[in-house]
Amino acid sequence: MIWRTDRRGLLKAGGAAVATLALGPKMAWAAMGDTLRIRMAGDYQVIDPFGEIGELDDIIPRCTTVTLVRVGDMRDGNLLSNYAAEKIGWASPTTIAFTLRDNLTWTNGFGPVTTADVKYSFERIAGSDSAWAYQFDQLDHVEIIDDRNGVLHLKEAYAPFMITALPYYAGHLVCQKAVEAAGGSFTNKAPAECGPYLFDSWEQNQKVTLKANPDWKGEPVAFQTIEFFIVPDDQAALLAYEADSFDFTRIGVSGLRSIKNALPAGAALIEAPSTTYTWLTVNQNAEPLKDLRVRQAIQYAYDSDAVLEGAYDGAVGRSAGVIQPTSPFARARNIIDKRDVAKARELLKEAGAENLTLTLIALNDSTSQTVAQIIQASLAEAGITINIQSTDEAAYWSVGDKTAGDGYKSIELVLMSFAGGIEPTENLVWFLPDQIGVYNWSFFDSAEYADLYHKVQLETDDAKRKEMFNRMEDLMEESGDFVFICFTPYIALHKADLKPVILADGHPDPTRFTKL
Amino acid sequence: MSCAVEQTVENLPPRGRGALAQLMRDPMGMTGAVLVVGFILLAIFAPLLAPYDPIQIDVRHKFQPPSLAHWAGTDQLGRDMLSRLIWGARVALGISMTATGIAGALGLLLGLVAGFGPRWLDAVLVLFFDSFSSLPMIMFALAVITVLGPGITTLIIVIVLVSVPGYGRLIRAQTLALKGADYIQAERTIGASSARIILYHLLPNVVGPLVILLSMDIPVVIMLEAGLSYLNLGVGPPTPSWGNILYDGYTSLRSAPYMVIAGGIPLILCTLGFTFLGEGLRDALDPKLKLRVAR
Repeated sequence: MIWRTDRRGLLKAGGAAVATLALGPKMAWAAMGDTLRIRMAGDYQVIDPFGEIGELDDIIPRCTTVTLVRVGDMRDGNLLSNYAAEKIGWASPTTIAFTLRDNLTWTNGFGPVTTADVKYSFERIAGSDSAWAYQFDQLDHVEIIDDRNGVLHLKEAYAPFMITALPYYAGHLVCQKAVEAAGGSFTNKAPAECGPYLFDSWEQNQKVTLKANPDWKGEPVAFQTIEFFIVPDDQAALLAYEADSFDFTRIGVSGLRSIKNALPAGAALIEAPSTTYTWLTVNQNAEPLKDLRVRQAIQYAYDSDAVLEGAYDGAVGRSAGVIQPTSPFARARNIIDKRDVAKARELLKEAGAENLTLTLIALNDSTSQTVAQIIQASLAEAGITINIQSTDEAAYWSVGDKTAGDGYKSIELVLMSFAGGIEPTENLVWFLPDQIGVYNWSFFDSAEYADLYHKVQLETDDAKRKEMFNRMEDLMEESGDFVFICFTPYIALHKADLKPVILADGHPDPTRFTKL
Repeated sequence: MSCAVEQTVENLPPRGRGALAQLMRDPMGMTGAVLVVGFILLAIFAPLLAPYDPIQIDVRHKFQPPSLAHWAGTDQLGRDMLSRLIWGARVALGISMTATGIAGALGLLLGLVAGFGPRWLDAVLVLFFDSFSSLPMIMFALAVITVLGPGITTLIIVIVLVSVPGYGRLIRAQTLALKGADYIQAERTIGASSARIILYHLLPNVVGPLVILLSMDIPVVIMLEAGLSYLNLGVGPPTPSWGNILYDGYTSLRSAPYMVIAGGIPLILCTLGFTFLGEGLRDALDPKLKLRVAR
């Protein structure tokens, strides 16, 4: 095409621009209506509950399958309600009886959802090497009474079981016949679905589309189509939201101040405490970090005030562990609560680790990069040189994964963030010795911690539970393997005529989004 | 015979003061030279000219708009933008000039060898040039960065590898054209060695086009470095690079739009400077263009 800079060319270009401007809003509106457009920071990887990894991995099954119970919006107190179970309740301190709804049907001709599916779904994960096996630590077996009635038998009384095991991740039901026919597992396409939505299409790293299930007999859904758009960068997501590309997007805390100053037209802002905890992993297995004094030097050199102000606009306080600060079980403060660069230098000198150079791995989003750069600067004051290695979401999660090679043994520092649960054990589970090479990337290996973890699950006295939780976090910090940073606030933008439902782990539940 | 030699010599590029004078007479070339010299001085004297330490974090003063204290404002970590931009010039020019310099020298050497050496060596070198030229530059850069890891050295290696074939091909073509010239044949007849022919006759005549190409390629390399640094694949933090300054500006676009503007200006000016200088040099040194203008 030849670009003409004469009068006619200019008129053509002007005409095209005017037409684009005039059509733009109409085209955007045409995409709305019955379609809910949600921005996600990363693409999905595995939707088999056995191997779920990231955020979308849990959200898709929430739409395309069911759980026995489900939790409500975190802002309304995480209320538990029946979902696939018509009736469910404690029959004794170690048994939970349930009755399935009679109108749940698997796609692809696999018939109704049965108690055998519940048994298969839970027992294939319990005791396995799945990252979610912890959810069923206390499950002994599932008893089938008939197609719709069953009993969950626990090994010991464990009151939080309903909330920790059933509403998410491994709690999603799968179709026994379909999964077995598929070879016992699946990755990016479920062999049978039964939820309010059906998987429709996937454009890798671009978009996932779900369509309403025409055979769904449960609570009606408000949207016929859900589109998940993959936009890793918060700033890009914010700009795209302003250009009317999404109806809902979570945004980084660094953008909070400017959003508050100029809220986009027709938008509503969600700002709530979240269960997402962020910390710096210090891998004690890495050669330069084997000496406890070196790890402690990092804890002393870390400048919490600068990180919280620089990366989080001072909107959050420092965390003292992985239990939410609003929880009655939270630890009051860190053991190393004040920065001491001189002490850090002294420890490094004692350990003979002056002029230390380490690699810090961080996600490539703007908040993580800002935190990483402040850590880099603060550790430099103690004489530690940090090389920042930024990675995208997909590469990031294989960094500490033992199934991806031996690299997990030698990673040095990693900036990490997990979406936590309501019950503290859901956050503490990732640091057990059996999680090394799974989600425990610091090689934190404490027998006392593991023992306390199992005891605290059975303890019913809250005062004693608090004492045990606090000791567990003390052990984490004393190991030098962790620098606790903060619990990030949950911030999201959505259309004001939309009512979203946000779960405790910060994930949206699109099946319950409604139009106002 | 003597007539042919005179004609060829007349068509040879002007050298030294003649070329410089011609460059200075050309407004575009003059503008380019001033901008390039300005940026080179900025890069050399960055420690003296930068008002603040470019990597000193001061989060209490982040996102300060341009003021008398901070002429280009401060970034998301409270670092002085002007100081980072000045130091960024050192990185941009350091990488681009080092990389194009090495690539130019290698291209010159390989091109002369290919053009003047035995046929089998020419065939091998042409195969090498063609193979590397067929690789998509960005994909190749990403592959090398994946293997070697991001950093200044990797960037230089990438740029050298992708640039050498182009320079080599140019020099080879020039050498092939010149080695059959009557004055070269005359040299051979009187017993001049290959080294003498290359050093005294070929080299001076093929360097001009290479200089033009190098000056035209420097802005491309600056953009490549900025692009890779923008993608966090180039110069890592805290080293200031125009690419990562632009990235920081982009991530703070809503809070501090001045960061993108301030970050973009030196990149635009430097790119324009080298492009204008390259075009000015081409006008001054390219014999064919000069001949065409004379006609």
